[in-house]
Amino acid sequence: MTTWELFTNGFSVLMDPYTFLMVVFAIVVGTIFGALPGVSATMAVALGLPFTYSMQPVPAIVFLVAVYCSSITGGSITAILFKIPGVPSSAPTTFDGYPMAQRGEAGKALGIALGSSAIGGLVSALAMLTLSPQLTQAALSFSPSDIFAITFMGLSILTCLDSKNILRTLISGLLGLLLACVGQDPMYAVQRLTFGSGELIAGLEMIPVLIGIFAVTEVLKQTKKRDKLTADEGTASVNTKMPSFREWWGIKWLLARCSIIGTIIGILPGAGATIASFLCYSSETKLSKHPEKFGTGIIDGIAASETANNAATGGAMVPLLSLGIPGGNAAAVMMSALVLKGVQLGPLLLVNQPQYLSATFASMVVTNILMVIVAIAIAKVFAQILAVPYSYLGPIIIMLAIIGSYATNMSIADVKIMAIAGVIGLVISACHFNSAALILGLVLGVICEGNFSRAYTISRANLVNMFARPVAGTLMVISLVLLVWPIVSSLFRKKEA
Amino acid sequence: MFELICNVLLWLGLLYSYFFHVLEAPIPDRTARNPYTLKPDVWPKAIIILLLICIAINIINIIRKNRNNPDFSFASMFSINVKRWLGMAIIIGASFILEPLGYMATCCLVLFLYGLLLGQTHVFRLAVFSVVITFVLYVVFSVLLSVNLPRGTIEACRNFSLYVEGIVSSVQSALGM
Repeated sequence: MTTWELFTNGFSVLMDPYTFLMVVFAIVVGTIFGALPGVSATMAVALGLPFTYSMQPVPAIVFLVAVYCSSITGGSITAILFKIPGVPSSAPTTFDGYPMAQRGEAGKALGIALGSSAIGGLVSALAMLTLSPQLTQAALSFSPSDIFAITFMGLSILTCLDSKNILRTLISGLLGLLLACVGQDPMYAVQRLTFGSGELIAGLEMIPVLIGIFAVTEVLKQTKKRDKLTADEGTASVNTKMPSFREWWGIKWLLARCSIIGTIIGILPGAGATIASFLCYSSETKLSKHPEKFGTGIIDGIAASETANNAATGGAMVPLLSLGIPGGNAAAVMMSALVLKGVQLGPLLLVNQPQYLSATFASMVVTNILMVIVAIAIAKVFAQILAVPYSYLGPIIIMLAIIGSYATNMSIADVKIMAIAGVIGLVISACHFNSAALILGLVLGVICEGNFSRAYTISRANLVNMFARPVAGTLMVISLVLLVWPIVSSLFRKKEA
Repeated sequence: MFELICNVLLWLGLLYSYFFHVLEAPIPDRTARNPYTLKPDVWPKAIIILLLICIAINIINIIRKNRNNPDFSFASMFSINVKRWLGMAIIIGASFILEPLGYMATCCLVLFLYGLLLGQTHVFRLAVFSVVITFVLYVVFSVLLSVNLPRGTIEACRNFSLYVEGIVSSVQSALGM
């Protein structure tokens, strides 16, 4: 199927009134979830999962993609109005958004945030549509050793996830890899690490673990904090004065740079929207002619952060759809849901089920355009919603987590796994481990072991032969450099200090 | 101190797993004899060895960093937020009572108890909120999304669930849904 056919097919799918309605509903749900502090994009997708259980695969994929994109954008609303980032990737938006809101320029700040989010999202959606077929073609010729090298490269980013805590991040990633070994081994179905529990023979179900670690842990953390999600005194109303064309024109190169960087970071497994927004904000500070103005309330700061985090959403979909490797936590949750729906993620998606790729693209385009209108309306309501006490909001999130875990397989065991994962998530946070690294290890662990095992047998137990192929060899060298460089540089820094 | 204890427990747990739980069933003979296959225990054992090394370094780092810290004592363990422990107890408890009590009773209890834990002082308002949200979530998931929520194994809870389901289905048929 050509790119143009994918393009037209995607939009014809969205012409179905039910599917279009699902997109609008998902944008509302996603923007609200994203704007709620403590509800991350991953959690929004996880909480949106039960809605898709009775849907057909196409509406389900469209719904989840729309929730994902709009939740990233929704995070900017509370970041600008109340200095509370709704999602972690909106944290840099507070640096310039809140000062603008305090100056009475909330409308302009929101306009820039929503507009640049839309631009970032549209650029990355186009990149997804144009790059996915090529990546897919390349991926079809990959051997198990190549796939192992790709997943290993995803794991090698572990050391870059938190440069101040490399050892703990490594431990978290390794724990994730070990958790992926629970149950029967992928080649010979030998039972491992089940501790005699029959419920663990099939391995750990991904969705309850993700819901536990993200949603439940966050609510447990909030139990220590104040009752109301009120913010610093300030904005109560939102004016809708949008930025002028001249202002948009002034940041055109910034938008282009951040869209590209955000998309590339989104493609890298394990990186994601948060890293993209921080990286673009800091790089734009370095590239700007007036770096001293960053942080005082200028549109450049908001545009850098919001373009990058939304561009990362499309980027994350590229490896997810083409290779079956999630680019981030939210993509990992989506991957689990789509596999349940029978979507064959990976190189064969474009060959056997091209309708899912086109539906994802169309959903991203429509979501990024519609969410500008929806988010402005929601921003106006949000001043009131934030006054809802957390003592009402928190228990609802817990119940949604319980129902979401149960509904995956109609299994009480999954609810127990979710509860234990929630507690483990809190312990991980208390021990300064990195939950994102743990999830990355858990998600990539099965793919990594299975392909390593296959490649090992094909190469007749010869590790040199195993990585003799150009793709595998090159990627392994890059991965090792990526893995070792942050460790070595931090050792050098310590010596210099 | 909490971090140190967690790391030590993790290290000991991993050591125990390495010796007793990496393989819980015998490797098939053909696999065991084939020199070109990766045995099922190699991958997890390699990860555990790496983890044991990394966690040991982490433990040493924690002790080194806190050597002169007066708060680094066993007594500091007890200053952990009680609310969080109660929160964990409610969530773990909910996962165990969901099967015997069913969705209705569990949801009501969790919403009420967690609301109290998060500082809600209006008990009557919270009780009404719990009942209303239980019903709303039931309608959303069970009726609109066709998720079969657990009815409970205790007779009274099961009968109550069936009673509510009966009312909902009669409303549905009255509305022609």
